Amino acid sequence: MRYIPSTEKQQVEMLKDIGVSCFEDLIQNVPKKFRLDKPLNLPPALSELELEEKITNLAKKNTDFYSTKPLIGAGAYRHFIPEAQKSLLQREEFWTCYTPYQPELSQGTLQSMFEFQSFIARLTKMDVIVPSIFDGASATAEAALMALRLTHRNKIIISKLIHPHYLKTIYTYLAPHHIEIIELPCQDGLTQMKQLEQILDESTAALIVQSPNFLGGIENLSQFSEMVHQKKALMIDIIAESMSLGILKAPGDLGVDIVAGNVQSFGMDLNLGGPYNAFLATKKQYIRQIPGRIAGETKDARGNRAFVMTFRAREQDIRREKATSNMCTNHNLNVVAANIYLSLMGTEGIYQYALLNAKMAHYLEKKLLKSGKFEKIFNYPYFNEFLIQYKGEIEELNQILSNHHFLPPLAVYPLIPEKKYENALLFAVTEIFNRNELDHITSILS
Amino acid sequence: MKLIFEKSIPGRDGFSLPSDLFEEIEIDKDIPEDFLDKNKKNLVEVSEVDVIRHFTKLSKLNYGVDDGLYPLGSCTMKYNPRINEKMASLGQFTHAHPLASIKMIQGSLEVMYQLNLLLCEITGMDQYTMAPASGAHGELTGNLIMRQYFVDHGEKRTKMLIPDSAHGTNPASAAMAGFEVIEIKSTSNGTVDLDALQNAMDEHTVGLMLTNPNTVGLYDGGIESIERIIHQKGGLLYYDGANLNASLGIMRPGDVGFDVVHLNLHKTFSTPHGGGGPGAGVIGVKERLIPYLPTPIIDYNANEKYFYLKDNGEKSIGMVRSFWGNFAVLVKTYAWILSLGPEYLYQASKTSIINANYVLKKLKKYYKPAYDQYCGHECTLTGREYKKYNIKTLHIAKRLMDYGIHPPTIYFPHFEPYAEETIMIEPPESESKENLDEFINVMIQISQEAESNPEILLSAPHNTPIGKTDDVLAVTKPILTYDDELRSIEQEK
Repeated sequence: MRYIPSTEKQQVEMLKDIGVSCFEDLIQNVPKKFRLDKPLNLPPALSELELEEKITNLAKKNTDFYSTKPLIGAGAYRHFIPEAQKSLLQREEFWTCYTPYQPELSQGTLQSMFEFQSFIARLTKMDVIVPSIFDGASATAEAALMALRLTHRNKIIISKLIHPHYLKTIYTYLAPHHIEIIELPCQDGLTQMKQLEQILDESTAALIVQSPNFLGGIENLSQFSEMVHQKKALMIDIIAESMSLGILKAPGDLGVDIVAGNVQSFGMDLNLGGPYNAFLATKKQYIRQIPGRIAGETKDARGNRAFVMTFRAREQDIRREKATSNMCTNHNLNVVAANIYLSLMGTEGIYQYALLNAKMAHYLEKKLLKSGKFEKIFNYPYFNEFLIQYKGEIEELNQILSNHHFLPPLAVYPLIPEKKYENALLFAVTEIFNRNELDHITSILS
Repeated sequence: MKLIFEKSIPGRDGFSLPSDLFEEIEIDKDIPEDFLDKNKKNLVEVSEVDVIRHFTKLSKLNYGVDDGLYPLGSCTMKYNPRINEKMASLGQFTHAHPLASIKMIQGSLEVMYQLNLLLCEITGMDQYTMAPASGAHGELTGNLIMRQYFVDHGEKRTKMLIPDSAHGTNPASAAMAGFEVIEIKSTSNGTVDLDALQNAMDEHTVGLMLTNPNTVGLYDGGIESIERIIHQKGGLLYYDGANLNASLGIMRPGDVGFDVVHLNLHKTFSTPHGGGGPGAGVIGVKERLIPYLPTPIIDYNANEKYFYLKDNGEKSIGMVRSFWGNFAVLVKTYAWILSLGPEYLYQASKTSIINANYVLKKLKKYYKPAYDQYCGHECTLTGREYKKYNIKTLHIAKRLMDYGIHPPTIYFPHFEPYAEETIMIEPPESESKENLDEFINVMIQISQEAESNPEILLSAPHNTPIGKTDDVLAVTKPILTYDDELRSIEQEK
């Protein structure tokens, strides 16, 4: 029987040992009227060969994405992943185990969480790192809820330039809690600061800004932090492209109180949007209000260093409805993935890759502008993603790029339906490209 | 074991760079100095070989399903078929960008569309959302759907009924959805106290969240009455699918009258747990709740023959995450269902129920069952007999490790008076009789040790990579990063 080792003969013996004459005796508590009297109406079992052929054929209905390099990012970035990381992730001990409730049998997972926390602390200059919330959107929503608990206030101010899915997710999570949500508009590709002064008040729990923002712009976080702190509110920074941490100032140096960061760029495939992973980072004094699981160092009975899940008194399995969150299963394998990735890249690799991303994006932008077919929309600083106006038909551009095996950039208008964005394209450039390809892209679009 | 940071040697590296680094672009001319870090972020400097050895060693400190029996109750630690992993790792899937045009992702969308149909048939529901990333995320989504349903119908319902035996995620999710949690006591049979339920249910109550078989592994024989009590007062019935592994081809929550169902694809449907995720907690609903599902829904345009992501309209609760779902997990689920078909799905549940009752029968003499009756796919024993030797179930669990077996669930359920000092054992269908017999023998041996040599239990585990951990120290002297550790060493000097 598929994946079932016990034989029919053994099952008969086991039923006899249990003391029943047939299996049905064991399910007496399932009312007869609800018991299925015929098999489920599903296709018959496939052999492994049949299954492989069926699913491989389905996969072929997708574009050959491997040889179609994306010029689109928007919260999901294709970066190079070293084979050493992929190979290590194949080790079953990492992926066939459960949440590390028994530390004696889970040090691999727990130490990996701890190391990842250490990496993110150094990348963000924050003290306390929750290694895994599902993704950038849910981490952003959890950060907002955390700020509401910490401040006992009921207003959240959000930049309109955070990822549209993150924004929608915040609304969904906050809907039951009677929270006033105010959106800050965009000005020249950056979150408008002027209006903030009028809106910020003593009832404001937090300001949420993404940097680089959804349109690529690097926000002036330290200035936002200063304004927010004057009203004793909290500054929340969202990071959708974690590679930017390689060269940009750390949020901890910019007065940020809580960071929610999508780390898909640290060694995770695109996978049509999931599973990715996000961390939450904050200051030591806020530890009792963090959601989710965290690893900490301690000693074992033999006096050696050991790792455990800690500050558990916040969690749902202990506090039930009074828990800081309902988080249980998270995306812990992706923590291991990111940990291995960051170990390989190290100090120099993350810096060099981030720098290369920024340089290549700026190279492409300059080339496109020079071609005469594109126009600048904003004069803002950006990392590896920029918004640019196309003078031709977007449909046509998509066709050309697809024909040459490039995934077109994001037309932002459907997501942000404002007239000025009708012909605006959001290009993302990562290290997966080279100069020839960027030149080729420019020439086919000119 | 050393941390990766302790293996760092200045000048080492584990990455490679292309030769063209676009040297002519001066990035500090494009990005203002204020935004750029003056220093590189200090991470680590190790070679690829160092990394391979470090993580190989780390992996050996873990215990997974491939290493042996993993009978964690309510966790369904079954075998994770290798072909499913391969199917999810096909390049056309793994490199698919979530915002690529739907023309380019027809294969992926078809997988999600077909999976919805299969899950609907297995559970008797009408439509699934693939968005939720975990069981608890599904619970939150389900609670928000129920909330939205009543808001839309102009009803003010603020309370959610939850049995005292429920997983902690149930009350936590209901609270996140803004509901007041009302706990319903269990009877001495381990099932929902129908009188208590009747008394608690009213027109201000959303409904009931129920796990069935429940979290002590028992089918609730009162399910018909439960359904009637909740629906008579206009409430909704929520099914926590953590224990669906007892029901495949036997009973469908939709037929029983459940309005909302979450499935843990990483439990019942064989996708790996990954040391705490990623899984998926897809939510299925009955037709009247479809308009409230999160956006988007995967749909098919029959006229023009293509799959697409449909905006679920104004009544939808909105989005609960970025993009569309944990796609890689969905592929594995799809592959598993197709591999088993109706016959083996039924056999999977049947076998898991026989396994659990077999363990129950063989061990009940040594560990008094919390409830003396046939169980579903997991059984709940207790270690109360051994309290007189100062032995708790925690010690029994730790001693099991010495015999190379992962302990069952002991931290849960803990509600007085029935579920105290419990050992919840779930031996899924992928465990053979020989494995169970070995486990049973070890458990009997430990019960004898508890009497004759309790010290060996109290000091267990003895031959695991680390000894028992000091969980209090981890809180009183928190070290949450390597830099915390460096600071604490500095202070001690």
